[in-house]
Amino acid sequence: MSAFSATPWSARAADREVALRYVRYSHQNTIAYGLLRDDVIDELAGPPFGSPEPTGRTVAASEVRLLAPCEPSKVLAVGLNYRSHLDGRPLPDPPGIFIKLPTSIAGPGDPIVLPADAHNVHYEGELVIVIGRRAHGVAAAVADDYVFGVTAGNDVSERDWQRDDLQWFRAKGCDTFGPIGPVIATDLDYGNLHLQTRVNGEVRQEQSTNDLVYGIHEIVSYISHYATLLPGDVIFTGTPGNTQAVRNGDAVEVEIEGIGVLRNTVLRP
Amino acid sequence: MNGRSLMVAVAVTGSVLIGPVAHRASAQENVQRYVRYSHEGSTAYGVVRGDIVQQLSGPPYDSPSATGVEVALADITLLAPAAPSKVIAVGLNYLSHLGSIPPSEYPGLFAKLPTSIVGPDAAIEIPPDAHNVHYEGELVVVIGKMARGVSPEEARDYIFGVTAGNDISERDWQSDDLQWFRAKAADTFGPIGPATVTGLDYNDLHIQTRVNGELRQSESSSDLLFGIDEIVSYVSRYVTLLPGDLIFTGTPGRTQAMQPGDIVEIEVAGVGVLRNTVVRKGR
Repeated sequence: MSAFSATPWSARAADREVALRYVRYSHQNTIAYGLLRDDVIDELAGPPFGSPEPTGRTVAASEVRLLAPCEPSKVLAVGLNYRSHLDGRPLPDPPGIFIKLPTSIAGPGDPIVLPADAHNVHYEGELVIVIGRRAHGVAAAVADDYVFGVTAGNDVSERDWQRDDLQWFRAKGCDTFGPIGPVIATDLDYGNLHLQTRVNGEVRQEQSTNDLVYGIHEIVSYISHYATLLPGDVIFTGTPGNTQAVRNGDAVEVEIEGIGVLRNTVLRP
Repeated sequence: MNGRSLMVAVAVTGSVLIGPVAHRASAQENVQRYVRYSHEGSTAYGVVRGDIVQQLSGPPYDSPSATGVEVALADITLLAPAAPSKVIAVGLNYLSHLGSIPPSEYPGLFAKLPTSIVGPDAAIEIPPDAHNVHYEGELVVVIGKMARGVSPEEARDYIFGVTAGNDISERDWQSDDLQWFRAKAADTFGPIGPATVTGLDYNDLHIQTRVNGELRQSESSSDLLFGIDEIVSYVSRYVTLLPGDLIFTGTPGRTQAMQPGDIVEIEVAGVGVLRNTVVRKGR
């Protein structure tokens, strides 16, 4: 499976930690969650953050179609959270949170569909937090208890709309503007993961999550003081460096150490 | 309807408030009132028949059947009449609300969150660090069918009904934050209800907001800059709408800050009165 054939630095974190890797997939017309063990998936009775029992069924990873690894009730994101992405703009204080939509979530291999009137759509490779427990007003010191794991995400953005519209609603919230996957990985050192974005194989973004201005725990704590987070909710943590427009046919890959490669192709219908 | 006659309506009709304004629109054909409620520990959808609620097997937009269970309106707790997967809103959609801001050439959309939705009589909780929280009385569209790329002419087929909503907004955060996340989408910042009503002429419904019985906003949805069919069509070009999704259509006129203890009522003709009390949330 290409999604799991990681580059050497990407496999490092998984080797040294007790990380577990969870997937959501379709197989013979049914959709299930599962625990990935090497090339085999142990099917689970429900979403991994609900402490599900294994069903006893297993399936080869090469036999399934991977889906977005969770189905969030809400999708939040942090803007301007790497100094390398600020480009003269001030650092947001408090964190610059915005809302994407559940319908913007897509899975590994799904197309990123460009709306007919969109002309400046950019990739944004990001580490994505997956919430494990209902979080309401939690302190940063205990926020880790509410984080189930992490995945890779692409916070696809239409820059002209982002500049001109009242809010970033359609710039960030269009259908397919939020691919995530291929797995949810637990027990990684979330604040020290290497992230790389490639377009047609060429490296475009490269940075460590160590450079996040607002760290994972701060972000979860801040959001939870205003909006209650629920199991399966996701938070895109921000993108590093510079981004560029994508075109029909471009293959965009976001790779994060310990998670693997999220690969999507851009489609102009 | 002034504060005094409202109190009379409360006494007579119980939880679902129907004032004189509301009665006029309900006289039309095919008007149905759907509620969501809790009763003896369980939650259900139902259709209102006089003082009785007939329980339904599921959400009204999913073609449910009647379960045969009936309960008195007076015995139930009304909840938000829809459980949306997403909550969308239109900003600056009445000339009377624009002030010196020029009208936009296309709708100014933003998102609220499912967790901001609460029902009739629920508390509007002001976060500890919020100091400028305003009401915004609005007509809210409830989507009935999956809508993707629909034209304004087709939009009506995808709209299930309407309800009343309060697009609660923290003005300082709205002006200072990068985006309107906490200004618009904090928990309890989206009361809706009391019922989802079908069969109304949603292009001409009167909307009133009262605070402690005093009239603060009063305008008709006929004054919307972008009409409801146009909004649904525009949203669906970018974002697939699902059954139960909500669109707050914008607020008219001026708004003011609310204080703990304030009683805020949004009345939409034919829908009834959405009533919520403001509290300050503890740390």
